[in-house]
Amino acid sequence: MKIWGRIYALAFKEVLQIRRDPRTLVLALVMPVLLLLLFGYGVSFDIDAIPMSVVDQDRTSSSRRLLRRFFASGELRPSGTLSDPDEAYARFRTGQDLGAVVIPAGFQARLRERRPAPIQILVDAADGVTAEQTLGKAESSLKAGAVVRRSRPPVEVRTYTMFNPELRSALFLVPGLAAYVVALVSVLLTALTVAREWELGSMQQLFATPIRRGEIVIGKLLPYLALGLVAVALVIGSGALFFGVPMRGAPGILMLNSFLFVLGMLGQGLLISVLTKNQMVATQAAAMTSLLPSLLLSGFMFPIENMPKILQMITVIIPARYFIDTLRAVLLRGTPASHLWGDTVALAAFALAMIVLSTARFQRRIA
Amino acid sequence: MNTVIEVRDLTRRFGDFVAVDRVSFHVEKGEIFGYLGANGAGKSTTIRMLCGLLAPTEGVAMVAGHDIRDDARKVRAAIGYMSQKFSLYLDLPVRANLEFYAGAYEIESPRKRVQEILELLDLEVHRDQITGALPGGTRQRLGLGCALLHRPEIVFLDEPTAGVDPASRRDFWRLIRSLSREGTTVFVTTHYMDEAEYCQRIGLMVDGRLAALDTPRALKRDLVPGRMFRVSNVDERASRAVLSGMSGVVDVQPFGTRLHVRVRPGGPEAPDLGKQLSQAGLSGAEIEEIEPTLEDVFLAVVDPTKGSAAA
Ligand SMILES: Nc1ncnc2c1ncn2[C@@H]1O[C@H](COP(=O)(O)OP(=O)(O)O)[C@@H](O)[C@H]1O
Ligand SMILES: [Mg+2]
Repeated sequence: MKIWGRIYALAFKEVLQIRRDPRTLVLALVMPVLLLLLFGYGVSFDIDAIPMSVVDQDRTSSSRRLLRRFFASGELRPSGTLSDPDEAYARFRTGQDLGAVVIPAGFQARLRERRPAPIQILVDAADGVTAEQTLGKAESSLKAGAVVRRSRPPVEVRTYTMFNPELRSALFLVPGLAAYVVALVSVLLTALTVAREWELGSMQQLFATPIRRGEIVIGKLLPYLALGLVAVALVIGSGALFFGVPMRGAPGILMLNSFLFVLGMLGQGLLISVLTKNQMVATQAAAMTSLLPSLLLSGFMFPIENMPKILQMITVIIPARYFIDTLRAVLLRGTPASHLWGDTVALAAFALAMIVLSTARFQRRIA
Repeated sequence: MNTVIEVRDLTRRFGDFVAVDRVSFHVEKGEIFGYLGANGAGKSTTIRMLCGLLAPTEGVAMVAGHDIRDDARKVRAAIGYMSQKFSLYLDLPVRANLEFYAGAYEIESPRKRVQEILELLDLEVHRDQITGALPGGTRQRLGLGCALLHRPEIVFLDEPTAGVDPASRRDFWRLIRSLSREGTTVFVTTHYMDEAEYCQRIGLMVDGRLAALDTPRALKRDLVPGRMFRVSNVDERASRAVLSGMSGVVDVQPFGTRLHVRVRPGGPEAPDLGKQLSQAGLSGAEIEEIEPTLEDVFLAVVDPTKGSAAA
């Protein structure tokens, strides 16, 4: 009861300070949603006729029939005929085309020999949403045109998504962004609030009271834990509202792992501020050790499978990786909770390590 | 008497630098103990050790009956600490700061106590103001209020009146004296020598060492023996040169445009000083005998060649 009195006093004071400083609330609650909208709507949505160049190296009746059916719906528009697939890259770069369909020489011959006859669809995926649309329409055109079903053996469609193999869109954006934004809010805000107390001298004043280290840690973290969880909920909620991000799996595991992720990020912020004791340095340290990894090494921007081995090994200690995995699994794939305990364990281990380390480094007395 | 602070050979080094050097003293219950010294003398370092904020390198200190090394938590519960740097939350209202510390110390019926403190320290009208907007004197009263909330046996005040206007300083000292009358021990540092007169006993710190320790009166008697004259209304530089050379004069110190001239017991009288000055062409000097101040004590201690403290 007594302990709670002190923790309550600390947490309540923190809430008062947050309420008095609108920047904290803006950073925690408005920024995440704003970022999501910016990223999400930054990409154009419905393109009527997606321009695609045609590389027909077969020039047979079969290849021409395929192309006719491919462009039949009108959602895809043939923008030009090229002789070499490499030319398509140049046209992607200048923005003339969003994709290319390539029919290799020997297409008809392979069909006649009843061997698999591959065609290629190249998609410029620098713009994730557009790329997904292009690819989706290309695939459905092929199916709707019954090209696939009628050929026996079927036409084999190989898609190569260029520049962005992961093929991000708003759907894929939301999980990554949620992790990034929560990392931003949690690490930065805690690092700043604790470093500020050192700078101000109020930490010394706290140390002159009977409050224990652990109580300071808990009292400081509780309000930001709440704020971080609200931020997660806001990002997922706006994802659902504005971009139709589904919730296909169990919310329970999502809540548990969100909680652990936020806790770990708060712990990291605490550790940073305990080590730096300076708001300026803490901000930079937070950016370097948390924001950048959450952006670059978490699988948000670049798929982990495509990273060099050494970077892949580093991602093992990046908590955002596990959180993004959980988010994608629960929101998009509907993976059952039993498959996500690995993430839970990794996130819990990180949170525990951070809090233990920062409490240990939190020297009350300067020895 | 009841000893509430007992310090033996307390030492604190920062690397090779000795900030506090084998300091020993004790403080009695209800006493106002003044800790004096120039900047960097080791006053704050001593206080921080006594409050359990800094580990001593060597030595022992018992505060409120608890060893500061082994029982720092019990020490903290028994003391109030007001640091040299104002360290309450500037972005919160006065009352929120008090309520926070009431919670931190888990005092009984906090609302009532906060109200009492607001009244005691004359902060009632400021209770809803943002702490950062308060003038210096009011801030310091709030700092004292936070340190007193849990009715500590001892309060440590580290330069509580630094940078505060004279009227507020006087008010502050009135509070300190009333605390002491009610039995709270006050350990206060200052570098204002005039304030130190209010202390029952004074420890003088010079370069980490406790150079002198006694009541103000005894310090003056022992460290500034002989008599003291104030010379005014003459050119300060010229007369300083004249008087310093005079036999029986121990020391001449400028105080503003005046001089404080200290003479050996049995040395020159006021008319003798006047005569010496007019012989040197400096007429019209006004000379009167004064009580030595703690400033004189301090100067005698800092520069022992000028006083009997040379021994
Ligand atoms: N943490 C520290 N590290 C190194 N030197 C310090 C530290 N704290 C104080 N000092 C040095 O110890 C000396 C005494 O400081 P302090 O006790 O603050 O003096 P005072 O309060 O009398 O002005 C100063 O020279 C100061 O520079
Ligand atoms: Mg000091």
